Amino acid sequence: MALAPGLDPAAFALGGKVPLRALAPASIEELAAVVKACNEAGEAVVVFGGGTLQGIGFSPARYNIAISTARLDKVLEYEFRDLTISVECGRSVERLNATLAERGQFVPLDAPSPGLSSVGGLLASGWSGPRRATFGRPRDFVIGSTVVLADGTVAKAGGMVVKNVTGYDMSKLWCGSLGTLAVLARANFKTLPLPETTRVALAALPERTRRRAVEHVAALDVEPSVAIALHGFPEAGGRDGQEGRLFLMFEGSHTLVDRATRDLRSAIGAAGVPETTLLDGTAATSAFARLLDAYGARLGERSLTYRSCGLPGEALSRCDALAHAATRHELHAESLLDILGGDAYVRVSTKLTAEFAAAVERLDASLGTSSPTYTIFNAPEMLRDGLKMWGNEMTSPATQRDIKHRFDPKATFAPGRFAGRANCSEGKRA
Amino acid sequence: MSTIARLYEALGSDAVLTAPEDLSVYAYDAYSQERLPLAVVLPRDARDVADVVRIAYECGEPIVPRGAGTGLCGGAVPVEGGIVISFARMNRVLALDARNRRARVQPGVINLELSKAAAPFGLFFGPDPSSQKISTLGGNTGTNAGGPHALSYGSMTNHVLGVEYVRTDGSLSYAALDGAGYDLTGVLVGSEGTLGVITAIDVRLLRLPRSTRVCVAAFGDVEAASAAVSAIVGAGLLPTALEIMDKLIVSAVEAHYHAGYPTDAGAVLLVEIAGYPDDAESGERTIAQIARECGALSWRAAAGAAEREALWASRKGAAGSLGRIAPNYYIQDATVPRTRLPQALQRVDEIARAHKLPVGNVFHAGDGNLHPLLIFDRRERAQVDAVASAGKAILEACIALGGTISGEHGIGYEKRETLPLVFSPDDLAAMARLRDVFDPKRLFNPEKIFPSGAVCGEVRNPAQTQSQRQTLAAGGAWL
Repeated sequence: MALAPGLDPAAFALGGKVPLRALAPASIEELAAVVKACNEAGEAVVVFGGGTLQGIGFSPARYNIAISTARLDKVLEYEFRDLTISVECGRSVERLNATLAERGQFVPLDAPSPGLSSVGGLLASGWSGPRRATFGRPRDFVIGSTVVLADGTVAKAGGMVVKNVTGYDMSKLWCGSLGTLAVLARANFKTLPLPETTRVALAALPERTRRRAVEHVAALDVEPSVAIALHGFPEAGGRDGQEGRLFLMFEGSHTLVDRATRDLRSAIGAAGVPETTLLDGTAATSAFARLLDAYGARLGERSLTYRSCGLPGEALSRCDALAHAATRHELHAESLLDILGGDAYVRVSTKLTAEFAAAVERLDASLGTSSPTYTIFNAPEMLRDGLKMWGNEMTSPATQRDIKHRFDPKATFAPGRFAGRANCSEGKRA
Repeated sequence: MSTIARLYEALGSDAVLTAPEDLSVYAYDAYSQERLPLAVVLPRDARDVADVVRIAYECGEPIVPRGAGTGLCGGAVPVEGGIVISFARMNRVLALDARNRRARVQPGVINLELSKAAAPFGLFFGPDPSSQKISTLGGNTGTNAGGPHALSYGSMTNHVLGVEYVRTDGSLSYAALDGAGYDLTGVLVGSEGTLGVITAIDVRLLRLPRSTRVCVAAFGDVEAASAAVSAIVGAGLLPTALEIMDKLIVSAVEAHYHAGYPTDAGAVLLVEIAGYPDDAESGERTIAQIARECGALSWRAAAGAAEREALWASRKGAAGSLGRIAPNYYIQDATVPRTRLPQALQRVDEIARAHKLPVGNVFHAGDGNLHPLLIFDRRERAQVDAVASAGKAILEACIALGGTISGEHGIGYEKRETLPLVFSPDDLAAMARLRDVFDPKRLFNPEKIFPSGAVCGEVRNPAQTQSQRQTLAAGGAWL
């Protein structure tokens, strides 16, 4: 087996744990053999794609072997006239979409750092980005999958057709499982035709007009595919200081996007928003890429990002409540609010790294047991295990643990990352 | 105390049916496998359902949830007897939140009723199986139903945000798509009642399109029409629906509805383009052009809302209108990659000929989702056997073309022995592991999905042959 023994284990460290070895199987068969061997030897495994979303969840309780999917990067089937593609899961999201773009297609995975982010890692993380409300989540585009289970069994589900109720939809279980049940080896997607044009509109969002502007945007006749209210996050086009920023993206035909722009100007003008900057073509796609990167961006060891999901109509209140709580604990708060999808991301930070741990631990403790629940999206490695990474609630924790046990009885895959540390009650409503 | 006595005690006598004449109504669905349940219960709320499940599980009785019984694969048939849970009384829209575009419904809410309730707010529910006037959202969730608009809006799994369900011990759980943990919502949708009994469903609603155009193109034959569909999709165009009916279906439909479909054509293609007005207009032009290049004999756009609705009503009522020309018919549900549609239809035609059975085709072409209807007379034993054999041959042909054996009705009872043609024992064993988490005693809708014996130890009627077990649909089936 050629497992690229030259990989440096230190590059795969998590939570201060450095694996003994880092392996990079070059085929699904090799991957299965490696997993089987680790499982039999009782070695705990963490699967690595690009590592961009490894900040979700607790760090693994045990960690002996890193398995990189970097060499599993092939396109296995692409019948572009069917609008379906099958790829190995180590392929980067950027390369997946580059292949599709040659045929005028894409999958709206909205990966932060798409050049690094692997298809499998993105799916396993349960990530969904700012186009979720318009297009659906990454899992909604998965029409089939092949995984390697802990005992080395290769199991597939779904297929290469866009409508399929043949057997359980196991792909849903693998998506969002954070590599704790199986290794995603192959994913089949349905694709979409690329829009004719893309336009980004950036507008100032003064504090006093914020609530009204958000309501106007939610009611626009031509819906944007992305509608984000930014506060801070200068790297994504936001502004430091009090003034917020509205980031909208329209995708579709030229006629439609032009009409959308006219509607937008009158709507947000009516809400008291002064001026709009328009970006087209590559300027628009670059601006969107910077926005996506901001979701995962951490300011060294002095920041982390909370994520709160819920009803879009309550997103602003949830976002503000957390930002105010952070301010009370002497943390600087920036927010990224998905007006259509209802997700709120709040990045909290301190000026000095030395002050961060204590401040964020106070904030985290103060969030208490009441709803809404905030989960932590990325945290400095050394702080993760002391924080409420999964918030206060996990639905059906006993079922979650049972699933983990059935699929991975020896706890080979990232033990402790997900299920098994639930600090919550069975059957509680989300 | 007997199971029935315990059910009476828990639910009251008006919610438990045990008389044979009452039970017989619940002995079959649109795939007619007749077997009387021990009892039928009509719960009023989730608590009632929880009581039923607890009692049934303790007594070792199978539990079979039932919506409207429109499924084609026997998913709602109590093949092992036991207790059928009918959701007829749990038919309320519990909440409709227009601002956030979502609704919470009980499982017995009829699909179309939700869209009607949402319409005053400018919203609708995406999945629209042709049975939407009678099929329930609970049943739709269980089978991950699709319908003509799945092409643009996706199937149930893309619209369910969370489910409340009863577990084997009678406890109520809630799975939410946005919750932390594994995606239980995703696996419960489409699990055909084998993982839990769903008591409430949170769904997302969509904004009604600003403009809708419905067009009809005539073709010389169904292969030409499906080649046009492959070309439209292959050109990167995804209208909201692409449906095909062949000549046999069109003549039955026209005799019944008089919607104005051309009866002299070999096949018609129904195209719906919904969206913003400017886009819909240019979309129609492009699609009409491709259709003509693929040999369309005519192209006609519906003049207004009334005509659009008539065209859709007759399309959705296609199977029902076959009653005029067929003593009985059997509907198959299979999917192929969209570029393989012409070959798939050719194979369907060859198989029907070889079995000396007339066949009609009405299907969700844009998704590659075939629905051949084999016409037969159930009083003729040889014809019944021929239909069973042709049905299986069609599934095998679709698999050979890279497709699968169910697009929107599930596996149910009918197709479970065919499942191993699609999945390896390892694939099925992974699914069985999941089932073991939720239902270790296999009392939730037993004998469904999983093949007998292969992975689950569900060998209960080994002496029966497939044809003995099949009692084919006696009409009234939906697709």
